Amino acid sequence: MIPSAYAVVGLLSLIATAAALLLAAVYHPPVEVELRDSAWAQYRFGFPVYALIFLSFDMEMIFMYPWAVVFANLGLEAFLDMLVFIAILSAGITYAWKMGGLEWE
Amino acid sequence: MTGGEILLRSVGVLVALVLGATLTWRLEPRVLESAGVTELGPAAGTHPQGPIGLAPNPDVWLYPAGPIVAVLGVLFGAVVIPLGPDLVGQDLGIGVFYFIVVIDFVVLGLSLGGWGANVRNAAEVYYRAVAQLVSYVVPLGLAYIGAIMMAGSLSTIAIAQAQEGLWFVVLQPLGFALYLVTGAMQAYRPPFVEPFSRHIEHGVYGSSAGWQALLWRLSMSGVLLLVAAMGSVLYLGGWNGPLLPDPLWMILKTLALMVLMLWLGARFRPLSTAEMLALSWKVLTPVGLANVLLVGGLILLGAGP
Repeated sequence: MIPSAYAVVGLLSLIATAAALLLAAVYHPPVEVELRDSAWAQYRFGFPVYALIFLSFDMEMIFMYPWAVVFANLGLEAFLDMLVFIAILSAGITYAWKMGGLEWE
Repeated sequence: MTGGEILLRSVGVLVALVLGATLTWRLEPRVLESAGVTELGPAAGTHPQGPIGLAPNPDVWLYPAGPIVAVLGVLFGAVVIPLGPDLVGQDLGIGVFYFIVVIDFVVLGLSLGGWGANVRNAAEVYYRAVAQLVSYVVPLGLAYIGAIMMAGSLSTIAIAQAQEGLWFVVLQPLGFALYLVTGAMQAYRPPFVEPFSRHIEHGVYGSSAGWQALLWRLSMSGVLLLVAAMGSVLYLGGWNGPLLPDPLWMILKTLALMVLMLWLGARFRPLSTAEMLALSWKVLTPVGLANVLLVGGLILLGAGP
């Protein structure tokens, strides 16, 4: 039931991404460009990384509430679903950690 | 659902959003200019042919990914906006909750594209957009909750159906006012235009040309359209109305709410990020919490459907 409910969202993301890439491939107007200095060195990256990690975990936590309510009835299937979800997020935080995202420069 | 129907719905959502966003893009600058706004925000317009400021080494992935992610955000959001009881991309059971989540892909897109451009004015967008998100998310969520409590459902269809007799704006004027303010923040519309301020060359607009400029135009017009459409569903009864056909009512309400938001926003001077954060946490969030209690009390007293 879940896959068919989100089929429209899935197909839409494919169509939209394809259309965007197609536009990128065919639309090349002449562009007037001013060259600027590279900006990254001037910024501290610390706060926004924490903000983004916070957002992903905030969302994870919210999804866990309804999951927690029905968990006992659904059993193993629900457990495995959440396992996948946690694995993806864990991969994310491991990546951010490895890249030095959790160190306040 | 058959494969053909899925395809039809997907393409329908895409076409509807592109048409609606184009209309918004034509309409919005006129409304703002007639109201005398000088700081136009996203309505200032993109420059497909430049001039743009470009760094020697923008990020190969993040810089082009930004506008694509932002467009996907508005398209995903458009899926649950109903034009009638049967005319919706997909009636997801968790409709409005899903909407709140996916619409934030716009913020992710601005962050990726702004930071990835490696130009000072665009990188500034990253900070400002994330700070704006931290300002509006909580009071905006609270503005949704009032309508959800009365409808007893997260489905956009069910919420609109619950207002067949009486629109929620009548029962919850405070929630509606809260939605007007936080919706303008979510859509980066005046007076909350800091990420698109002309002092930073309109942020990502100043460093995106060609197809990226077109996609920014689509996503930033789309986000205003969607905020207005969701406001119509939550507080103005969605498609409900006498005489005229359902989709027409929905479109009229969306446009009217959009113009109201722009017109009200034009009354105030642009707020800095610090002022906006203060407004959100000192005023809007307490008001939102009070509104939840107020609506709870009303429901206990027997108000609502």
